[in-house]
Amino acid sequence: MTNNKLRYLKEQLFGDYFILIVTILYVVVLLPFIPRIISAYNLKNLFSNALPLIIIAVGQTYVLIIAGIDLSQTSIMAFSSVMGAFIMAEKFNPDIFSKCPLWGWFITESGGLFSGTMMAVPAAIIVMLLCGVLIGLLNGVSIAFFKMPAFIVTLVNMMLFTALAIYLPNSENILYLPKSFVFLGKGSFYSIITMPLIIVTVLVILAHLLLSTTLFGRKVYSVGTNAEAARVSGYKVKKIIICTYMISGFCAACGSILYTARLEQGRPTLGSASLLDIIGANIIAGVSLSGGRGKIISVVFGVFFFVILNNSLSLLNLPFYLIDIVKGLIILAAVLLDVIRMRKEQR
Amino acid sequence: MITLKNINKSFYGVQVLFDMSFELKEGSIVGFLGENGAGKSTIMNIIGGVLQPDSGTLEFKGKPYEPESPSDAIDNKITFIHQELNLLSNLTVAENLMLDRFPKLLGLPLINKRKMFRICQQFLDEINVDIKSTDVVEDLPPGTRQMVEIAKALLTDADLYLFDEPTTSLTAKESAILFKLIRKLKDNGKTIIYISHILSDIKKLTDELVILRDGKLVATGKTADYTTDRMVMEMVGSEMENIFPPYKNTATGKIKMRVDCLSQPGMVKNISFKVRQGEVVGFFGLMGSGRTELARMIFGIDSYREGAVYLNDELMPKNKPDVMINNGAAFITEDRRSEGLLMNLSIDFNLSMIAAKSNSSRIFKRVSKRRLDKLAEETSKSLRLKANNIYKQKPKNLSGGNQQKVVIGKWLPEKPEIFLVDEPTRGIDVKAKYEVYTILNQLAENGSGILFISSELEELQALCDRIIVMSRGEIIREFQREEFDTAEIVKAAFREGYETIGEV
Amino acid sequence: MDLKTRIFNVLLKHSTIVMFVIFFVLFSIMSARFFSLKNMEIILGNSTYIGLVAIGMTFVLLIGGIDLSVGSTMYFSVVVMGVLIENDWPITAAIIVCLLVGLAVGAFNAVIITVLNFSPFLATLITMLIVRGAGLWISKSKAINYPESITKMSTYDVFGLIPMHIFIFALMLLITYVYLEYAPWGRHLYAIGNNEEISMKAGIRVRPLMFSTYTICGVMAAMGGLVAITRLGRANANFGSGEEFNAIAAAVLGGVSLFGGVGNIFPGTFIGIIMIQMVQAGLVYINVDIYLHSIIMALIIFLAVFIDSIKTSYLQGLKKKNIMKLECK
Repeated sequence: MTNNKLRYLKEQLFGDYFILIVTILYVVVLLPFIPRIISAYNLKNLFSNALPLIIIAVGQTYVLIIAGIDLSQTSIMAFSSVMGAFIMAEKFNPDIFSKCPLWGWFITESGGLFSGTMMAVPAAIIVMLLCGVLIGLLNGVSIAFFKMPAFIVTLVNMMLFTALAIYLPNSENILYLPKSFVFLGKGSFYSIITMPLIIVTVLVILAHLLLSTTLFGRKVYSVGTNAEAARVSGYKVKKIIICTYMISGFCAACGSILYTARLEQGRPTLGSASLLDIIGANIIAGVSLSGGRGKIISVVFGVFFFVILNNSLSLLNLPFYLIDIVKGLIILAAVLLDVIRMRKEQR
Repeated sequence: MITLKNINKSFYGVQVLFDMSFELKEGSIVGFLGENGAGKSTIMNIIGGVLQPDSGTLEFKGKPYEPESPSDAIDNKITFIHQELNLLSNLTVAENLMLDRFPKLLGLPLINKRKMFRICQQFLDEINVDIKSTDVVEDLPPGTRQMVEIAKALLTDADLYLFDEPTTSLTAKESAILFKLIRKLKDNGKTIIYISHILSDIKKLTDELVILRDGKLVATGKTADYTTDRMVMEMVGSEMENIFPPYKNTATGKIKMRVDCLSQPGMVKNISFKVRQGEVVGFFGLMGSGRTELARMIFGIDSYREGAVYLNDELMPKNKPDVMINNGAAFITEDRRSEGLLMNLSIDFNLSMIAAKSNSSRIFKRVSKRRLDKLAEETSKSLRLKANNIYKQKPKNLSGGNQQKVVIGKWLPEKPEIFLVDEPTRGIDVKAKYEVYTILNQLAENGSGILFISSELEELQALCDRIIVMSRGEIIREFQREEFDTAEIVKAAFREGYETIGEV
Repeated sequence: MDLKTRIFNVLLKHSTIVMFVIFFVLFSIMSARFFSLKNMEIILGNSTYIGLVAIGMTFVLLIGGIDLSVGSTMYFSVVVMGVLIENDWPITAAIIVCLLVGLAVGAFNAVIITVLNFSPFLATLITMLIVRGAGLWISKSKAINYPESITKMSTYDVFGLIPMHIFIFALMLLITYVYLEYAPWGRHLYAIGNNEEISMKAGIRVRPLMFSTYTICGVMAAMGGLVAITRLGRANANFGSGEEFNAIAAAVLGGVSLFGGVGNIFPGTFIGIIMIQMVQAGLVYINVDIYLHSIIMALIIFLAVFIDSIKTSYLQGLKKKNIMKLECK
């Protein structure tokens, strides 16, 4: 009986919640050195940093589970940020934007295409999400139908849409976003329940339910584990691959909306440094690069771990260059641990 | 030359070689005969150093010989020409031939390419093979590649050559060249072991015969003393053990599946047949006769050029396995590992692969875990699956027989009306085989039509209502149950006496 | 086969070169200044440092691997060199250490991949982080300025004719070309990229060769960093970041496959590098908006990969037909 309980405890410890336990232990150990880490201000800051990243990383999880990779997520963030801002911004400074390729017909001094109308914010959100989904579609079709390697396809699309995001606004940030849009990123109820918290929670729950309780989720795991077996069992493998890339793009666009709203500007360089955090959080959450393995809940903890790590290192006043080294070593350790775990399981 | 004494070998508790002992004389061509699974390849792999025997000893040239790897065999001047190709397709023929002994350029550590191509070309011309040494392997047709593989083996100077079905992808002309080469080797005092399913080749080429059946040596002797009929007799034996469930005739008149004139160039030609409700139709043939390819085409996994497939009189579209499944078809693949199972996911996940669709809600397609769990448990109980915990254990930790049960089990909850079953008993032990037969019988009894592909004639004869024999992509003959005759069926598969039917 | 399809097949087979020629002709027509010896020299000169990195990358891609750490390696090795020079080390010694640092990073990758059995992607991603951090640590994340003794090397003409950096690039091109085409070990890399297991059966020492390949890639990255420094004279904190993608893009543009076993240094990767630089120079000459450059570059690479995948399936289909014909004979 106790043996069973022990085993159960062990399974939980090394299972889905492993990374959460590591995170908590990490915070507890650091607490005497930096008590500030659990101050209300710091926690709030920490959360608002982590929330958009969570939804983006969750999108990546889908792609990683089918044994793909999506490097274009950061460019989707930047591109949709710019596109959304173009549509809803309330005015443009002609000194800055008059050289833009879109000046005069799409954007004018008095704002973007839909600015001032009731439609401005909904239209912008729809366009932003559409950008993500369509870029995902482009990735997916190239990979599934034309058999191009995922790494190169998404790399090239990253280059392409990063460049487009910079080209369209001539690398200027787009200000004067409508208040109602900014509310999405900064608004809160009772000052604790922020809009991003609500949005991300809803999306993560949906993503979790989609992956773990629906037919589609089962198909995603099957394709990632053995695409040939999935095909023989009548699954439409190509369609599933395309869908996961579209989900990844959609999630990146959602993250972009939250960031854009919080920063109150359309930013052409948005997300350019977060690719490593996205993939790194997935890896330490136990998502396998060779496909078929990964859980949304672990990825959420993985992102928190990464964000807390960054936060604590800067609170410790450690020089920022150490952050990269520590991150690298932690991924290394996580993967080694995973290898050991898998070996144990095989026995 | 080489002596084997009391060699035993088992895989996963299944003994495949029993006290195998024989001796081969130097300078002779020895033919190895036996049905699939008789143990020929295992013997070859032991001599070639790929496998190690569980017990028994080998002697080569009078000295004890205990190869631990293929390179040990090579060092002992034994060359093994595998049935599958071991060529690097992105390199030229010459590079493949000389990969570990490139000619040097002026003593530098560089390849003298001109010399390399010249030496190889000379060698290829010498052995009368029409291949350019500068050709890249991936541009060559399969037969020519096989010749490259053979040339590669001949370029190594060995004393014993092992040929494992070298002619499966060769044209008649290429085969003739190969035979000439083998005879030349013999004239130079080399010893050759030659495995083939083509009895006429064995008869033509070899001096001595070794015949195996079920891992036991049943006959040796001079090839001249054997007619092809006697060879077949020795190969298949006469006694049939009681390892099959009793046959039941459950066939009705209702046609479940109809295949009309199915053709795909290079694969199958003009295949037509019917499967009735409750009927078990066996497909027999040698490796490469196109049975697996046919089943894959019918199920929509691969495409075909001409013909049509009907389920319950309804025309099925090409290349749509999902439509086939919706219309009540199931495909049990021969390749459990790469096509059948999700090795790293739990057993219950595997068992729910097909059933998940019909057990999900209309909107959002949320699967009912409760119902699927119940189905998975029922299935695993009805199949008597030996697993500790189907929710935690993964198929990769199961025995071959239980893995096969999972592959079959994932289809059962949907109660398919037609099963395409490809080599369901390959690599599993006798007891598990019996269980698989029982499952198939039960399915037929419940009214499913079964297309049963197998290379083991005994099981086909025990279970089937009809046996269709295929060779080189064509149907050679159909045997009704009352016509079943081992020798006749094997003959048909070997095309003995059927030479006139369709040349490929 | 009629003449038309035959020509089409030849063009398709050499699609990279065809693309190169098309762009060359296009730019030459659109801008008279583009078609000049001076411009050719500029294009070649701009190709040198990324070219050296791309050569190393080609090695790794040929065995079916990938190296994401080259950008960090470039930075780390020149930072070490810079610190040594600041501490009055002789230039030659500092340069040698710079290359040795590259070698060490490459060896580190090789250990993680061949001994710990990590996937190359993951292993080099980790190295990328650690090595970049180590470089920033040493440099205190400040820009490093290099003395004239380093920068004047780029203006030094070998034999009074060829600029130093072009000479180094050409020399490495030659050496690696000969190595891959004519050295037994070079051919073995192609074998490994095609099929590791068959290579092992054929007696190739797969692990040591893989090890050496990642090491070579590290050295080439350090050399690329060194050459870049001789021309820039300064290494910022983000020196070399993103170069791993440029190197991969150049190799892929030159027809090197990410699946291993396919591609070559010359003309392959060389054409890829030159094409990138040529298009960039050409766009300047025909006055294209600077922001559009990377968009056009990305589209070109996309096109190249797309053509490559179409080509593969087309040629496979063609081969099947031919083989069928041969078999029917």
